[in-house]
Formats: sequence, structure tokens, C-alpha cells
Amino acid sequence: MEDGVGSEEDYYDSDRESLDGLENEESDPQWVPAKGPSCKVITKESLLAAQREDLRRVMDLLSLREHHARTLLIHYRWDVEKVFAVLVEKGKARLFAEAGVSVVENHDADSPVLSSTETCDICMEDLPSSEVTKMDCGHCFCNSCWTEHFIVKINEGQSKRIRCMAYKCFAICDEGIIRTLVSKRHPDLAEKFDRFLLESYIEDNKMVKWCPSTPHCGSAIRVENDEFCEVECSCGFQFCFSCLSEAHSPCSCLMWELWIKKCRDESETVNWITVHTKPCPKCHKPVEKNGGCNLVSCICGQAFCWLCGGATGRDHTWSHITGHSCGRYKEDREKKAERAKRDLYRYMHYHNRYKAHTDSFEQESRLRETIREKVSNLEERDSRLRDFSWVTNGLYRLFRSRRALSYSYPFAFYMFGDDLFKDEMTNEERELKQHLFEDQQQQLEANVEKLSKFIEEPFDQYDEDKIMEIRMQVINLCVITDTLCKKMYECIENDLLGSLQFGIHNIAPYQSKGIERATELTVFWSATANDTGKFHKPDEQTGGTTESDRPSGSGSSDDNGCSSRKRAREGSFGGSLFDLNLPADVIDRN
Amino acid sequence: MQASRARLFKEYKEVQREKAADPDIQLVCDDSNIFKWTALIKGPSETPYEGGVFQLAFSVPEQYPLQPPQVRFLTKIFHPNVHFKTGEICLDILKNAWSPAWTLQSVCRAIIALMGHPEPDSPLNCDSGNLLRSGDIRGFQSMARMYTRLAAMPKKG
Repeated sequence: MEDGVGSEEDYYDSDRESLDGLENEESDPQWVPAKGPSCKVITKESLLAAQREDLRRVMDLLSLREHHARTLLIHYRWDVEKVFAVLVEKGKARLFAEAGVSVVENHDADSPVLSSTETCDICMEDLPSSEVTKMDCGHCFCNSCWTEHFIVKINEGQSKRIRCMAYKCFAICDEGIIRTLVSKRHPDLAEKFDRFLLESYIEDNKMVKWCPSTPHCGSAIRVENDEFCEVECSCGFQFCFSCLSEAHSPCSCLMWELWIKKCRDESETVNWITVHTKPCPKCHKPVEKNGGCNLVSCICGQAFCWLCGGATGRDHTWSHITGHSCGRYKEDREKKAERAKRDLYRYMHYHNRYKAHTDSFEQESRLRETIREKVSNLEERDSRLRDFSWVTNGLYRLFRSRRALSYSYPFAFYMFGDDLFKDEMTNEERELKQHLFEDQQQQLEANVEKLSKFIEEPFDQYDEDKIMEIRMQVINLCVITDTLCKKMYECIENDLLGSLQFGIHNIAPYQSKGIERATELTVFWSATANDTGKFHKPDEQTGGTTESDRPSGSGSSDDNGCSSRKRAREGSFGGSLFDLNLPADVIDRN
Repeated sequence: MQASRARLFKEYKEVQREKAADPDIQLVCDDSNIFKWTALIKGPSETPYEGGVFQLAFSVPEQYPLQPPQVRFLTKIFHPNVHFKTGEICLDILKNAWSPAWTLQSVCRAIIALMGHPEPDSPLNCDSGNLLRSGDIRGFQSMARMYTRLAAMPKKG
């Protein structure tokens, strides 16, 4: 199925290329359609299905019942590969024992008729055997004591790991029994317990995280391979999967965290104050020296020496304060102030550029509307020009490059500053690398500005030849900025961060098509579907293939990548305009 | 509440019935409050506590036996896992390793076992822990014996 789609795609590309050789954005060899999207949106509805995929794999391999598989996966934080690795390394018995799974092949104790009464070791009552429950680990207590125990544990927030009551028994209790017993007395608590188990798939799983949007959209995102990536949730929120803040590549998460902190708090104001003022020795207000000699008077009337900050008398000459001498401290103090000044200017340099590009980005976001207008104006004109996808392509390319460019400034601030990598590079190395990086950054910057200029031209008023010329320019610049962005990322990944010894900084890889939009997890079975329905599909699911040619009626196909991409492609021949709700790559392909 | 009371009552009866079973432990319930117990335990032989009789105070929570009872030494004791001033005991089964299957009687047994096998790596009494950790067994034993004699033995004359 996948091959079929792939070849269709290839055919489509080559066809387009022969028609229009300039459109090389389309023939990006990096984009492999068969791979499919690697991020999935998990909603409240598909949470169970998502969990089931992993449960199914473990249940099939180890021939386990569902609650045992869940216990195992909760213990190993939903890392199926880890479960399999432990299985190979330590064997089944250890794997189960460590996770508190006790699988009883056949209950020996069940077959012989139990004595009519059993003694519960907890309440020490003799009870009929109908009122006691034996767990898989073999320990038997009365229902009322079990229930009390479960309630205490659920209220303690330990729903995911409720152990048997017997001493030194590490077995995790059967969730089915917990549910039945607790719901008899506290149905709402049983519901809470179920929710904890369900949400464990998100809470305990390093490949799944809640979407950080506020107000919370209720979805979670699952990534397949690399946790250092940037994703877009179905609610439209884009974020860095690794640190959950806004998408910030090519800045690393640590750099970004430091940067926003630096920008937000008043550390630079404080810095200015230390550079330019000294506290009065009497009232401790910061005093700025606005000229004159080194004897400074505070508004409180206290005079002090500007060089050392010490209180003095008022009697002085230009070069000497009577009865005061602090000359030997002078050099050190000035050096310190000098350094703080240099750091401040350095920060201002990077911050100004970062700010300039984010501002431009914001202004350009408003272009969407204007561009839409321009294109519709052009479409109304009866000309031989029909295809205006280059305009939207250009606009989106501009957004993406602008984004990368603005975040490259905080990156450079930390990469070539003293905060993070002081001991990793010699000064010469640093200078060399900085030049290399800045060359690329400047090239990118120049081309982004050019692209911006062309996109903003009122081309809907121009004649056809001029439009064709602009079109050429925009398409060319798109290719150039894309390549430059990619190169800049590569330079950062390989030459700059890659050569570091100690600091570990990962950045999300460059996505030529923009931040990947997570697709809805397709639910093959409803939560209550019978078992036969669940069995034959999971492989397809875990492969993450939404490209497969399913009949469009299945599931919520409106939101899955497959159908929308196809629909969009058909649309492109009719010259329809872009839909902002489509994934970025769909728009690019139009 | 009701469950803990019932269980404690059972334990009380059990204790009364098997008074002679464990001569090292003497568990007594407070006359007016079934949630307060005291115990007298004998220092195990071949330890510096031999010959001493130590008094323990039990405070049983309402969630008992799902939650562990609070136990502390009333008699002063020099032991790495017992707080010298408050008598608080650091023992896993009284904290996170508690199981409802334990009884007050078995807790006493566990405490006797702890007296014979101190855990100097999680000390509540640092002086005592340090003596043991630095390998000064003699120093530790003589200190412990001294305090046993001072606090846990009937005064002679």
C-alpha cells in the first residue's frame, strides 16, 4: 500500500517538474512519503486506543492478560522496547518480578474446595470464602480489608502501583479486582482510579506529552522516534516537544530557557545599575555620576568617593579628597565595570537583532490577509497566469526562514559567549567558528529580507511580465533561503554543537516544510470493541501509517493527513487558495 | 474507625491468650483507650542491651491496620536507629514497608530484631552511628551497655 502511494507521488513530482522546472521545492528528495507522519495527536477519545497498541504488543509477545501488560508497561514507563530488552537480558521471571507482576498459570488453590471459612489476617475475622479475595500472588484477605486498602492507596495518589497487603509482597494488585471492589463502595473513586490508569500512558511515557497550550486543548502528542523535535498540535499550538516551550530551534532548550529568563527578568537593568551607579554609603540609594570629579554627593547629603564608594568629607580638590586614599583599588574596579559594560553591549546587540526579526515576523503574519487579497485580485484578472501557489509558498518560506533567523541570535549569544562553553573552545577556535556561523547567518538574513521585499510588492497591480519576473525571484529566493536555513542548522548541529565535549545540547532538526503537524491517531476499534476486532490491526497502527488507502468513511478521516492531502492536491488544479488549517506541507505541495 | 477498633480488640484477645508464648514481650493496652498501648521488651542476649527492660509506647492511628502504628522508646537507649532524646525509631516497617498483616506483637519482635542488628547507615543517633561506622565496636558497646545499665535496669540499692 505504501509503495503504491510512493510511486504515485514520484510520478506526480516528475510530471510537475517537466511542466515547470523552476518548482524545485516540490522535488525535495528528503521528503519520503512512505515514512508518514511521526507525530500523533492523542485525544481523550483515542487515549485508550493509543494505550492498547502498546498493550497489545506486550500481550502478544508475552501472552499476558491486559492488566498484567499494563502493570508491566507502567513499571517500564510505557517503553515497549525497554520491556523487550529486559526480557532478553534478564528473562521472563525477573522481568515480571521487578514490575510486580505475578502470573499464576493455574490457581491450585482454587481447584480444591476451600474450607467454608477463611481467616483474614488483617481484621482477624473468620469469614465465608465468598467474602475473601485471593490475588494472583496467592495472598488472600477479606473483601472489606482489601477495599479499605485500595481506598487508602488511591487517595494517596498511588493508583498506578497498588501493592498486595502482605508483608514483603511486591505484587501489584489486579486492577479488575480493585475496580470491582472499590466501585461497590465508592463509584466515583473507582472512576478516578480508571482515569489514573488511563492517563499513566501520558504521565509516565517519555514519548507522550500533554499539549502545553493554555487553555489546555485536552490533547497529548506522541512522537515516534526523536524526542528532540518540534510539533504542532491539532489545536494549532506549536511547541518544542523536549522542553514544552514555544518552538525555538536552532536554539537548544537550555539556551532558550536562559534567554527568556534573561529577557524577562531585570537582570540587564540590574547590570546597567551596577555599571553606571554606586550605592550611597549612607542611604544606599544608587547614585549616578553625571560628571565632575570623583567626589560625589548623594541627595541625602552624604559625600563619597566615586572610586571606592567609601564615605568621605567634602573637602577635596579635582584629584584628591582630603584624608582619603583608595588609589590601589582603582584598576580592579574599573576592570570589573568595563567587563559588565561589555557584556551588556554584547547582550544588547543580540537582543536587538532577535527582537527586530521577531517584530518583522509579527508584521509579516499580517501579510496573510493582504496576500490573499492580492491573489484574488490577480485571479479576477483574465490572464494566462493561473497558478499563484508561488505566492503562498513564498510567504510560508518567509515565515519559516524568519523564525529560524530570529532564534539564531539567542543561539549565537550563548554559543559564542562565556556563559555555557567557556572551557570548550580556545579563543581562536571560537573566533573562527563565530565567523563561519555569522557568514551563514548574514547570507540568510540578506536573502530573507529580499524575499520579504518581493512578497510585499503590490504585484497585483503589475503587468504580466513584471509578475513573471517577481515570480522567478520569489521562487529562486525560496530555494536559496531553504538551502541556507538547512546549511545553518547543519553547521550548528555538526560544526558547533557536535564538537562540544561537555555541554550536551540538542536541537530539533531543520524541517524544510515547517513544523510537523501531528495527525490524529486513527481509532480502529472503539473502546468497547470486541477482541476479534482488535487483533489484526495493531501492526499497521504502530507503523504510523496514515497514508494507507483506507476507505474514506473509516474513523475521523477528515483530519488525517491522507485524505486532506489528496483533497488539497485536487484543489490546486482548480487554482483555489490555501487553507490555513492544512498542514504546512500540503500547502507547499500546491 | 470501627475496623481498627475491631482489629485491636482481636489483637488484645490474642495477647491475653498467648501471654506466655513470648516471654520477651509484654504488651499492655491502656485501660481507657484501646488506641494507646505500652510494651515492655527484654534486650536480646549477646547484645549490649542484654539484661535491660525497655518500655515502648504505641499510638495507633484510626486507619490501622492500613497505616502503621507510631512507636517510640520510653526508656533511654543508645542505638543508631533510635533518637536519643525522643525515642523515635527508624524502622522501614513502621514507615513505607508497613503491611497491614503486621500486628503490634510482630512490631515488637521487629524492634527486638533491630536492637540486635543496628543499621548504622541511616542513623537517628549520629554519635552511635559514627562509632559503628568507624569500626569502634568496643566503644559503641560500652556506651550502649552503660546506658542500658543506667536506664533499663532496676536500680540496686
